[in-house]
Amino acid sequence: MDFRLTADQSALVEAIDKLAAQFEAKPTEFRGFALLGDELDKELEYGQYFDIAQVPELGALCAAMAVERLARLPYATEIALSMLVRPQLPGDWPRPLAVVENGRPGRFVAAASTILVIEGEGISLVRTAAGDAQPVESLFAYPMARWKGRAERTALSGDEAAKLRKWLRIALAAEASGLLQAALASAVDHLTQRKQFGRPLGTFQALRHRMAECAVLAGGVRWLALKAADTADPADATLAALHAQESATRIVYDVHQMLGAMGMTLEHPLHLWTYRLKALLSELGGRGGQALAVAEECFGD
Amino acid sequence: MHFAWNAEQETFRSTVRAFLAANLPRDWESLAHGPASEAQSSFSKRFCGKLAEAGLLVPHWPKRWGGRDAGAWTAFILAEEMWEAGEPRGGQYMNVNWIGPALMRFGSEEQQARYIPPMARGETIWCQGFSEPEAGSDLASLRTRAEKHGSSYRINGQKIWTSYAQHADTCFLLARTSPGRDGISVFLVPMDTPGIIVREIPSLIGEGDIHEVFWDNVEVPGSTLFGAEGQAWEIARAALSLERVGIPRFALATKMLHRAVSMLERSGRFGHGAIEQAARARAACEAARFYSYSIVDQREHGIPTGPEASAARFATVMAERAVHEFVVEQVPEALCGGEAMLLAHHQRAIVAGIASGAAEIQLNLIATDLLKLPREPR
Repeated sequence: MDFRLTADQSALVEAIDKLAAQFEAKPTEFRGFALLGDELDKELEYGQYFDIAQVPELGALCAAMAVERLARLPYATEIALSMLVRPQLPGDWPRPLAVVENGRPGRFVAAASTILVIEGEGISLVRTAAGDAQPVESLFAYPMARWKGRAERTALSGDEAAKLRKWLRIALAAEASGLLQAALASAVDHLTQRKQFGRPLGTFQALRHRMAECAVLAGGVRWLALKAADTADPADATLAALHAQESATRIVYDVHQMLGAMGMTLEHPLHLWTYRLKALLSELGGRGGQALAVAEECFGD
Repeated sequence: MHFAWNAEQETFRSTVRAFLAANLPRDWESLAHGPASEAQSSFSKRFCGKLAEAGLLVPHWPKRWGGRDAGAWTAFILAEEMWEAGEPRGGQYMNVNWIGPALMRFGSEEQQARYIPPMARGETIWCQGFSEPEAGSDLASLRTRAEKHGSSYRINGQKIWTSYAQHADTCFLLARTSPGRDGISVFLVPMDTPGIIVREIPSLIGEGDIHEVFWDNVEVPGSTLFGAEGQAWEIARAALSLERVGIPRFALATKMLHRAVSMLERSGRFGHGAIEQAARARAACEAARFYSYSIVDQREHGIPTGPEASAARFATVMAERAVHEFVVEQVPEALCGGEAMLLAHHQRAIVAGIASGAAEIQLNLIATDLLKLPREPR
């Protein structure tokens, strides 16, 4: 146990920070639901960042740190699955990746080259072809599409599916961690600037305590996500995903309360984080599914 | 950054576990062990003596004081194993965690020579005279006063919620020597000094746990002053920063959660509602564990701990709450004579957000120092 960053980890964090700096702000004229980060995607491809989990001195922990940092940007880009799940696929499957769970619309499905199709306990892989996906309008701040599923599937064995499910949970937790931090930071900005009754909202204890509790939850999500990425332990993955979905449920509601009507507008960037979090809440069985998985991994003797 | 235990850490944990297996009586869990009970206090003196002989009481202290400079991880692994076992050290955990280190940092040579060696041998129990009827979270408003008379002080006032007071040899006392926050001083007062009256307060949290302590014209020599007059705030801050991530409450909470789940599984009652509640509690315990570890790691590497320590404390409070509520809701028979350790855990868990300072004060600190929200007007 040693939480100091190694020289390689520090160098990676610094490089990702530098890259992220160009994408920190929402374009002022943008008023949409999902802000697509094609330029960010290109930069990450160019720097070979999608492969950092396979670099021995970096590994999945660094990939999780990168996922978390990049999720704090207002841009929705398919990063988590490429960085954390793709290295675990049997054979070479092209990115971007998307997940279609029990026939529902999924994130990045229209842009994906490879789809992970989850049906009940089983997972199969599909190389997508043109016309397979039907984009759908949605409130979520990810591009959502329905997959029509004609192409041939490669079914995974039970062990392979369990391993992918584990890394899907880790990817979800790492992404949620970054989104939670950004949503909280956005609320802190508002509470610092917005004055009512002659003083900043952030001076009112009712709001301060609520925000502090949210910050504690978000910090816990971060630790559990990083730990699971490092240990690759299935129990750690279930705990990380459960704590992420559990905390996100509360924090999304609370930060919107902090922002009032301003948080309801498409002008304010808050929804670019909270409505990505909302999309993550139902994935992999949601909180109920995660709880069953925790019970199986942690309580089964 | 990496999350695996190193060989030294693993070996140390095994050593502590082996010691506990060899030295805790077979019926340990069913003993009345409110941490401040008569039975526990006399047991803890024998037990801590053996720990000291095995080099496991104060391994993180400097060699000069009976330790081996083993670092913060060693101290915390030790604390985890002890707390998980139901804290057989009783009140002596305070000596190990912060009273000893405070003596090393702020004590006079005479005070160090008098008080540290018996602590390192596991022979002595302390209590902390902080809270007063009118000074809880607002500790700076305390009124117990120590007036100088020639070379001695005369102490008058009242302390409350004092744990271990009935069995303590010495009190780490905060008293006012002049007005204002900078007018508070620390005194190390032998509890057999005439004029000190201890009265137990019956409570929900275990036998002999909390007390009122009355100070009626208690005459103490000038040598009982700890640090300088008016230095209490600085000393208390240093002590409380160690105490904030002091008790690894998540360790016993996790163990008790698993025990409660086993009871439910055995009786075929671990259904959907219980599973969801147990899983949430398990995740909260794990979050508290790694939050706390992050602070321990900072201590280990000499990095000053910031507001994250308050967040770690609050995460621990939430974990304790999740587990004890799970037990109340799913295994209520545990609180009706069904399981001594689950009962003992409940009694300890309900003070998690209160002992060593109200958790709401930590939320204030998190809001200001971690989130950087503007301060409240005063």
